[in-house]
Formats: sequence, C-alpha cells, structure tokens
Amino acid sequence: MKDVFTGKLVRLSAVDPEEMSKAFTRWNRDSEYTRLLMMSAQPLSSAKAIQKWMEKEIEGVSPTNFFFTIRALDENKLLGGLGLNVISWAARESFIAIFIGEREYWGKGCGTDAMNIVLRYAFTELNLQRVSLGVFEYNPRAIRSYEKVGFQHEGRMRKYLNHEGKRWDLLYMGILREEWLQVQNGDKT
Amino acid sequence: MRDLFRGKLVRITAEEPETYAKSEIHWQRDSEFVRLADSDPIQLSSAKKIKEWAEKRFEKGLKPDRYSFTVRTLDEDKLIGFFGLRIDLMHNEALVGIGIGERDFWGKGYGTDMMKLCLQYVFSELCVERVSLGLHEYNARALRSYEKCGFRLEGRTRKDILREGKRYDSLWMGILREEWLQMQNGDPI
Repeated sequence: MKDVFTGKLVRLSAVDPEEMSKAFTRWNRDSEYTRLLMMSAQPLSSAKAIQKWMEKEIEGVSPTNFFFTIRALDENKLLGGLGLNVISWAARESFIAIFIGEREYWGKGCGTDAMNIVLRYAFTELNLQRVSLGVFEYNPRAIRSYEKVGFQHEGRMRKYLNHEGKRWDLLYMGILREEWLQVQNGDKT
Repeated sequence: MRDLFRGKLVRITAEEPETYAKSEIHWQRDSEFVRLADSDPIQLSSAKKIKEWAEKRFEKGLKPDRYSFTVRTLDEDKLIGFFGLRIDLMHNEALVGIGIGERDFWGKGYGTDMMKLCLQYVFSELCVERVSLGLHEYNARALRSYEKCGFRLEGRTRKDILREGKRYDSLWMGILREEWLQMQNGDPI
C-alpha cells in the first residue's frame, strides 16, 4: 500500500494554526495570489485573527471538512494548503479549494501533485463519487493543472467577476470516481 | 412520490425536548422496556436531565452522521417511541436503534411500520449501502419484526448479556441496499 499522504514532490500534513496563520499573512500580501484564489477583495488580517479563525474552523473535528497543508518533500517547506468539503454524504459529492502560497513554487507541478494526493484520499479513503471545483478564467495555470489530473470542464458562469475594468468568467470543473479510476491506469490504489 | 415521514400506522415527528422528556420519564419506569431496549444497567433520570439530553440531541448541531426521530401514531397522534441512526460516512453504513416506550403498542405492528419508515429514510434519502442493528436474544418479538422488514441474522455474540442470573446472546442483523430495493417491487423510491 502507498502512503496516502505522500506524492512525488509534496506531502499533505496537518494544519498547525500558529504556523499556518503566519504563512497566510505573508501570502495574503501577494495581491496576485489572492486574486487567483479569492473572489472577494482581500482584507489584510493579523496573524492573530487568522489563527483564531483557524482554531475554530479547522481544528474542530468535523465529518464534512478536511483541511491539509502542502509541504515540499525535499525540505519540508510549507507551500500551501487545501480544503475538501463534502457537500452531501448521501450524494457523495465534494468541493475542493487548493492553493500554493509560495510563488517560487508556482508552475512546478506541486499543485498538481497535491491535487493527485487529495483525489486519492477523496476516492479511496472517503469513498466519494465526485469532486468539484471552481476556477477563474484568468488562471490558466490552475486550469491546466486540473485538466492534467483529470478534471473535466462542466460549466461557466459568464462575466462573473470584475477585475481591473474587465469582467471574467468563473469556470466549474469536476471529476467522477470512474474517471479518476481510469486515470490511475492500473496503478495500485 | 412517497411520503418519507408517514407509514401505515405511524408517522415520524420532531418533538419539543419538553414533550419528549414527559414521555421518556414515563417509559423509563417500565423496566421491561429498558431491558429490551438496552444492555446498560437500568437507571432513572430526572425530567430535567432527559430534557437537556433531548435539547442536545434534537436541537443543537445537526450532524451528517447522526439522526434522531420520534414517532407518533396516525390515529391518536400519540407519541409512542423513537429511532436513531448513526452513519459511518466513509463506509456508507448505518446503525439503527429503535424502541416503543408505550407498551400498549407492542406486538401490534407499530414497530415494524416504524422500521419500514426508517429503512425507507436511510436507503432512499441517505443512500446508504447497508443498515445494521443489534438486539438481545430474549427479545423474540423484535427479532420477528426485523425479519419482516427484511433484516437477516448475521451473527451472535454468545452469552455476553447477564440478566437475572442467566446469560443470553447478543444478535446482530443487517440488510443490504439491494435486498431492500428488491422488497420495494420496483416501486419508485
């Protein structure tokens, strides 16, 4: 059996609110990063406020939310994080949000690797039927990454966002359990 | 479409904790009922304590892995019992506990009707793959009722219950989704 939490470049680890809140304040100062990640204008919050929020939201044991940090395998550096939210256990449908805050690690396959790990977790550990996500039209790097792990384009909310005088679409993507199993191509899961 | 909350003799209800406590305090004084329902030592709780328990269970924090229902008769609208479900979300399996506190309603098909409603709810609304339950060997009436609902006897823990100087077995029963679907005779669920 594989180690469920380890990939080729990164591994998933538990969220330490103190460490993560410090990283968040640093990453949030990168406005390009926040625009790629969030719809709303990002207020700059203190590490203390973020830590408090995380302790409440992330540390409380919930059977519907699964949070992880993403760390580089080679130097154990904290690169980003992800949250998997089970929308409905009856439908076995979930929604994922993923981010790499350290911009030197953009475009190097770390996000793709982390997504592969969490899909394996979603399909083989939680036994879910689908994983959905939303991504902004102006984030082609993310779209390409999601396509690589097997997400299909499912919908588009036209002119959903307003940035720098232009309106942009919000794209919806999804992957089904059968599709993911096919992508594994006989890989032992 | 079926009415998920209404059977032939009973309907599923939500009760005010106070109303529930009034019935429960009366049920728990019937030691035969408690011995059939539970293997813990019989205890008596105050109405206040039961009310607090019910507030916690019925009102606070609806969780995707816990469901509690109360049951009333269709003809007199009398609160006669309850059932509760604990779902193993990952394995998509449910454990059910059920009881009729009003002994005038024993052996008349009310429990069977309740369990049928319960199974309909678990299989068609929560979409689980199987439902399990446990009972005491000396509860022949319950065994017969569960069999009528489609449960199969799957195992027994020998002589683990000690009551009145005699040892009894615990029985384990289960029903699979396919088995339940077959009993619906192709009716839409």
